[in-house]
Amino acid sequence: MPRNGDGPMKVLCVAEKPSIAKAVANHLGGGQVNTVGDKLIRNIQGNVYVKNFEFQYSFPTWGNCNVTMTSVLGHLLSHDFDPRYKIWRDCEPSDLFDAQILTFVEEGKKGVASNIERQARDAKYLFIWTDCDREGENIGAEIRHEALKGNRSLSDPGKTVRARFSNIERAHIINAARNPVTLDEAQSNAVASRIELDLRIGASFTRNLTLSVQPMIHQHFRNKDQGVISYGSCQFPTLGFVVERYLRVRNFVPETFWTIKLMHEKDGIKVNFRWARNHLFDRMVAVILFERCLTSKTAQVMKVQTKPTSKWKPLPLTTVELQKCGSRFLYLDSHRVMQLAEALYQKGWISYPRTETDQFDCGMDLRALVQKQRQGGPWAQFARGLVNGGFSAPRNGRNNDKAHPPIHPVNFVAPEQLSPEEQRVHEFVVRRFLACCSEDARGSKTDISLLYGSETFNTSGLVVLARNYLDVYRYDRWTSSQDLPDFREGDVLEPTEARIHEGKTSPPGYLTEPELIALMDANGIGTDATMAEHISKIKERNYATTRPRARPPRQNNEDDDEDSGPDVPPAAQPDRGRGRGRGRGRGGRGVGGTNTRGGGGTSGVQEFIPTTLGVALVEGYENMGFDISLTKPFLRKEMELKMKAICEGRKTKAEVVHETIEQYRDVYVRTQQRLDALRAAVRKYCFSENG
Amino acid sequence: MATPSPDDVAASIQAYLSSRGVPPSQIWLRTFMPTIKLNSPIVALQKTALFRVLATDITTSLNKTSVQTLPGNVTNPAVKDQTLRGPITVQVLDVEDIGRSRWSQVEAIEAQERGETTKGREVIRVVPEENASSAEPAATSSGPHKLLLQDASGTNMYAMELTPVNGIGVQMSIGTKLVLRDITVARGMCLIETKAVEVIGGKVEAWDKKWRKERKARLKQMARLGGDGDQG
Repeated sequence: MPRNGDGPMKVLCVAEKPSIAKAVANHLGGGQVNTVGDKLIRNIQGNVYVKNFEFQYSFPTWGNCNVTMTSVLGHLLSHDFDPRYKIWRDCEPSDLFDAQILTFVEEGKKGVASNIERQARDAKYLFIWTDCDREGENIGAEIRHEALKGNRSLSDPGKTVRARFSNIERAHIINAARNPVTLDEAQSNAVASRIELDLRIGASFTRNLTLSVQPMIHQHFRNKDQGVISYGSCQFPTLGFVVERYLRVRNFVPETFWTIKLMHEKDGIKVNFRWARNHLFDRMVAVILFERCLTSKTAQVMKVQTKPTSKWKPLPLTTVELQKCGSRFLYLDSHRVMQLAEALYQKGWISYPRTETDQFDCGMDLRALVQKQRQGGPWAQFARGLVNGGFSAPRNGRNNDKAHPPIHPVNFVAPEQLSPEEQRVHEFVVRRFLACCSEDARGSKTDISLLYGSETFNTSGLVVLARNYLDVYRYDRWTSSQDLPDFREGDVLEPTEARIHEGKTSPPGYLTEPELIALMDANGIGTDATMAEHISKIKERNYATTRPRARPPRQNNEDDDEDSGPDVPPAAQPDRGRGRGRGRGRGGRGVGGTNTRGGGGTSGVQEFIPTTLGVALVEGYENMGFDISLTKPFLRKEMELKMKAICEGRKTKAEVVHETIEQYRDVYVRTQQRLDALRAAVRKYCFSENG
Repeated sequence: MATPSPDDVAASIQAYLSSRGVPPSQIWLRTFMPTIKLNSPIVALQKTALFRVLATDITTSLNKTSVQTLPGNVTNPAVKDQTLRGPITVQVLDVEDIGRSRWSQVEAIEAQERGETTKGREVIRVVPEENASSAEPAATSSGPHKLLLQDASGTNMYAMELTPVNGIGVQMSIGTKLVLRDITVARGMCLIETKAVEVIGGKVEAWDKKWRKERKARLKQMARLGGDGDQG
């Protein structure tokens, strides 16, 4: 509704970061704001990063408006305890469970805040363009809080709106500008609860931990090198996983096992058969069964079955999956992968990289997205093939966060325009997307079973008939095995060679980053958006270090043996190549079952080793004998579930904060009574004392 | 209706237990009879008697003249292959999963002691059930299993599960009674298959308790020995 008199109305748009503000302003303002030096880009007082972009835009419901597009720099507000709680010795750490929390704008962000307040004064509408996730919703609420200081009328219904978008491709942004939605208070409240809980629980346990342990470390080493020993409700369970694996590796006891190896040569082809029992840990039993095989002299072919098989194309890409693949295939740690993906998103090449969704909305024009990738890059020809009839609808996973689609390329960019690291992540995202839009790989698998004495032996062969998605998704491997000779059911044969073989179990590897992410994901530690931070925190705090996983050492007493990991259930490893970075990896001879892992070649993946302090903390808390340990995922998982309950309107912020604080207060009290266990663990690991 | 005579009831119970492969000794029967009410239905008395006898040590409770026992040479490793006609009643003294390393079994027990179990990658806290008797989650073992069996005269013999048999596993009770028929013994090792073994059931409470209590320590010790099974 255009007004008469004093010209068009003003709309204040605020994005989460300057790069988004600039991109959105470019799309909505046409070329007008693009010109360098144009006075429509204004600097603001007190901050060199944030700019105001001014242009005109015609909104469907508001008509032609003067738009000021600006941004914040992430969270605008900070939270901390009242200054009288600042001096550690002046209060009990547990006072922090109830201490008053002050909310304020940090010195460095005051310019940004006052810019919003000033710009809001003559604005009719506040249009929020923060990223569409929980954190973004909360930042949106903070922006509104500042804007209301300048203009109360923005709290009227319909005066503050937000844009729903998941990438900054032009058409998508314009669509978002024309269809504003309301700010989601529930999501914002979930974040507010999380911030309050992290502050209270983190500060009280950190102080308690530091006061209990730091003095003894200072005294022992006669220096003051040990700083604050911080506790975080996500970091401790994360550290817990690392330490648990470390202790498993250290405590491991190797054991001997026995297996029967059978080889039969036919038509000049040597075929190795696997014992259906895999291996046994009892020599007497293995020897008796072996003798019964030899006694029976001949074996009979019980089954020859050839059936089509396929290797499924990957699911649409989620954040967790991106992080896991990042460390596995791109040799980038999860933190770095997220930084690069974030940069690619801000430049408009890929969609929002924080998503739990592994299904594409049926309304999305995926073919159009594939078409854009025909323009260049090493995948151009494959993309052309999809456009010319090879397209196949992606598989649907089980998750949908209802906010963002799976991570996918939104525009074409020539790889040369990106930094080398960006190229790796971008290429992965594009290849993954194209793989999702192509056909599963097809093959034919033959299974053969022999009965020899009382024992069954199996082998299988794979012929890859159509590589399909594998041509573009080079991170997966699936190759044909050797040809199998012609066996018929009922054939009786005298095996060429049968021998009993002795092997030894080997310990698991230290925890790798993909494994750690998978554990955090399965156990509800952090969200897809924060996991990488928690992982880098435990390194930063010197609770754990990482190192590239070395090529697996060959066992001295083991000749080339594919059975180096006998604790892997046979069903999970249908192939001979026992992937997972053990043995020779990759398993060139490996015969794929229907969902064979990419397998092998994990060198370059980081593995986590806890420091002595890290082990001491985990063991210390564990020895306190809680049924609810701080280094176990359960408490934190409960907290994450409660955040979700707030988002879904099943619980209020007040309820969740209260319940959770009481839970942790209870744990705190019990910790107090068992500090001796913590100190004993520190002495044991950090000072190498027994006891 | 008159109360049946104790002799008739005893005879009936004896016949029933014999038919189930556990003929009781006179001594056992004499101690059992005073504990029952003679006018109870005979079927109920038979069931009670079976339950009680299955809870005993068969070397003391069975009638050694009417129950078959293992032949003298049964554990002779020089005998490559022999078939026992049976039926021979035995009790289980030990059971071991030889398809998994002992150490992995130790790790599973320790996770259980911490109140955790894992489902895929997810660590799950096991909340103790209200009726604490069933607090121990059924730790299923996939086998094959190796058993130590004992007959009524006290002869011990190892056995291995050639094919999976229902009811055999590390969750079975120590003192479980089995009846063997037409079963192969190779080099002193009995080869158990479904068609050759009948699991009657039962449990010797004291043995079972001790076995479970010591299981972890035993597995640890065996793992440290390098994994070669206890050859007796």
